[in-house]
Amino acid sequence: MIQFSDASVTYAGGVHAMQHLDLTIEQGEFVVIVGLSGAGKSTLVRAVNGLVPLTGGSLQVDVRPGRSLGGRSEGEPTSYDVVGLTGRRLRDLRAEVGMIFQGFNLVKRTTVLNNVLMGRLHRVPTWRTLLGMYPADDVELAMRALERVEIVDKAYVRASNLSGGQQQRVGIARALAQEPSIILADEPVASLDPPTSHAVMRYLQQINREFGITTIVNLHFLDLATRYADRIVGLRNGELVFDGPGSAADEHVFRDIYGRSLTADDVMGEEERGGDAEAVVTPPTSPA
Amino acid sequence: MSATAPSRRVARPDEPPPSRFGVAMGVLFVVMTALSVVSTGFSLDGIIEDLGRRNDSISGLLNIDLSVITSTRTLTAFVETLQMAVVGTIIGGAAALPLALASTEVGARTTTVRWLVRAFNNVVRAIPDILWALLFVAMVGIGVLPGLLALVFFSIAVTTKLTSDVLDGIDLGPVEAADATGAAHVAKLRTAVVPQILPAYSSFLLYNFELNLRASAVLGLVGAGGIGTRIEFYRSAGRWPEVWGIIVLFFAITFVVERLSIMFRRRLV
Amino acid sequence: MSSTRQQPPDQSTDRTSDAERVDELLRPEKPTEVFRWVVTVVVLVLLAWGLSADIKWSRLLEAPGEFATIVRLMFRDPDWSALPGLLSAMWESIAMAWLGTVIATIFAIPLAFLAAENLVPGWVAFLTRQVFNVLRAVPEIILAVVFIPIFGLGPQAGIMALGVGSIGTLGKLCYEIIEGLDDGPIEAADATGATGVQRLRWAVVPQVLPELASFAMYRFEVNIRASAVLGVVGAGGIGGLLAQYIQFKVWERAGLALVVVVLATILVDAISGRIRRRIIAGPDGTGDVDGDGLPDDLDPDERARLTTDPVGGGAGLS
Repeated sequence: MIQFSDASVTYAGGVHAMQHLDLTIEQGEFVVIVGLSGAGKSTLVRAVNGLVPLTGGSLQVDVRPGRSLGGRSEGEPTSYDVVGLTGRRLRDLRAEVGMIFQGFNLVKRTTVLNNVLMGRLHRVPTWRTLLGMYPADDVELAMRALERVEIVDKAYVRASNLSGGQQQRVGIARALAQEPSIILADEPVASLDPPTSHAVMRYLQQINREFGITTIVNLHFLDLATRYADRIVGLRNGELVFDGPGSAADEHVFRDIYGRSLTADDVMGEEERGGDAEAVVTPPTSPA
Repeated sequence: MSATAPSRRVARPDEPPPSRFGVAMGVLFVVMTALSVVSTGFSLDGIIEDLGRRNDSISGLLNIDLSVITSTRTLTAFVETLQMAVVGTIIGGAAALPLALASTEVGARTTTVRWLVRAFNNVVRAIPDILWALLFVAMVGIGVLPGLLALVFFSIAVTTKLTSDVLDGIDLGPVEAADATGAAHVAKLRTAVVPQILPAYSSFLLYNFELNLRASAVLGLVGAGGIGTRIEFYRSAGRWPEVWGIIVLFFAITFVVERLSIMFRRRLV
Repeated sequence: MSSTRQQPPDQSTDRTSDAERVDELLRPEKPTEVFRWVVTVVVLVLLAWGLSADIKWSRLLEAPGEFATIVRLMFRDPDWSALPGLLSAMWESIAMAWLGTVIATIFAIPLAFLAAENLVPGWVAFLTRQVFNVLRAVPEIILAVVFIPIFGLGPQAGIMALGVGSIGTLGKLCYEIIEGLDDGPIEAADATGATGVQRLRWAVVPQVLPELASFAMYRFEVNIRASAVLGVVGAGGIGGLLAQYIQFKVWERAGLALVVVVLATILVDAISGRIRRRIIAGPDGTGDVDGDGLPDDLDPDERARLTTDPVGGGAGLS
């Protein structure tokens, strides 16, 4: 369970990226956060693993190791009070939370496998990681993570040689290799084309369903959001302006969240060309 | 890619063997280091032992004598160094412009000229400044003149190389336009090529002046004038506090000159 | 940079408000070329001042003749018996350059991390950079002069001069690379709960290692040139023989020595240059042998998509 209570983030420049947020996300939920850029989506997901510290309120993250790739079942449920968390405890929390990034954030000059093994850093003694001597079990887990996103054949290829979609799959595998209880995805498809985006969203959905991993995804595209989300949370100017099931979020709701009429840029479009009933809106000429 | 069939099995690739290049680099590193240690007699113990022992150089640094600047001969040598650097930069730089032009396709009238000029430039560049100084001392005797000549050649090497690199990347449009007007070769270079490289070229001259100033400190070690002669004088007399005094003062001056030069260069480019 | 510098700046804009003026008045005046004149005068004055140094101009007239004589003596009848000694002295220079580079690298890389503003507090970076600046400013040969009383005559002093002298440039190049690295993987490592050391090892080192190795190789090339002349002050290598032959006008040997230095420098440059290119290109080259701007081992269906859709999907190719 992730519980924001009266949580606020004010950046050094005085920008209020999160204002008095009250939000509870249950274990295993698939939540999509929508909002314009600058609405505080990134801040929200980065607060969960402490990459962005709260400046007010509280945030409690309970992790419950569940089913995972490695069949990990040890570990009691642990509760983290994220505010003020530092050092070892903060890293313990982060190890339980996988993260996927808009820019993939792979080390391009090393192999795909080494990138995925970064997900194991917290579980392996530091001296072994320094020498690159990962235990066989951890390599096996990384391989399974790659198989899960169907890119194991590239395990020994340098990440720089992959296309954008392939790199994001490696990013998912890296998060999966952490055997996380929570996965955060910050605009995971913003750099991808529609078919690849759908594929990435489907991987996230499958992982969520299969392992019961709580999944929080930032998205801009309303069609992707309504299609994959169990629950949609809308942010505007750092404030919660919508919270409801994916099915309840229609065009009017999005207009409300975005505070403007919708444009073609707000829709990802379908993976196959040709008409599809699920395309929510195709707005007319509207300047950006 | 079909996410709808996640159960599709793809064979895991075998771990590739370590790259031959990586292994070769590892071997090269070990072999070169071992051979180098053996043939130079380098030893860490020796270094540490040497550092622990009392010696003239370090005690000279501890008793550094900055008043050395008040000696007329040292002051003259400082001025000489500046003069050498200025003249070397101006004459060498002036010679470098036509040489750089002639070494490029745009500037050279014929391929033969281009290759001859390039060969000349390469030879000039391959000889370090202090070797030029040694050669000129042998030709014209000790003094400021051989140092000056050495800096001229050193400047030619540096400025020609940098300028011709820029010339390789100029916009050929204006050149074509000049050709179309029927301009003579030199006129074409003057109006269509030189203006394009002038800011970069001026900046290289200033940079070259910094290098010359630094180089002129060492030319005196072989008798080619400048402050180096004073360093050599005090060194051979074993007067290390004075040696250190000159070195520190000289590099304080070069530091100031470098800052000024960088300031000007920023404005130029 | 363009040829527009030749055109006078457009001054007509201040005047067009006065529409009644005749065309002639609208034409810009020729700008006074104050800057050009100032530069010319300054250069001429500096030149005159420089040439007023105590120079024996009469000797200059002899120089071309002397030069021709020396070149003739050098290459007419080289003393081949000196060759083995020269080659072994050249090897000593190369060995000095190699060890100097290794020592400099060992010190420069950790120091470079301390000079990178994205990794350490500003004042630490500032102090480390000042150390680099000082070391960069001093020529190796001056370092050799002050090191000889410490390490004695011979290669030991030369190695230390090259090692200490290279820390400055190598360190500067290194911290510039480190500051230019991609923050993404660092954030990703933090997000997995990695420790600082693990982050360095897996998110920073793989990004910067090829460039660092390449710069160390480059510095080796530079050091060979410096090392070849350190012997002039007695710090080992071929420079000692070279200085001796030239000072005592043993031209039939000096010429050979010059040729050995130049050829060895060119040879090492060529080998080292190839290694450096290979290091930067990586094991699979650019991964793009057929030159279509896409990795060669791209899935065929992804390739088709990327080539038909110029906007989407290509983000990861850089």
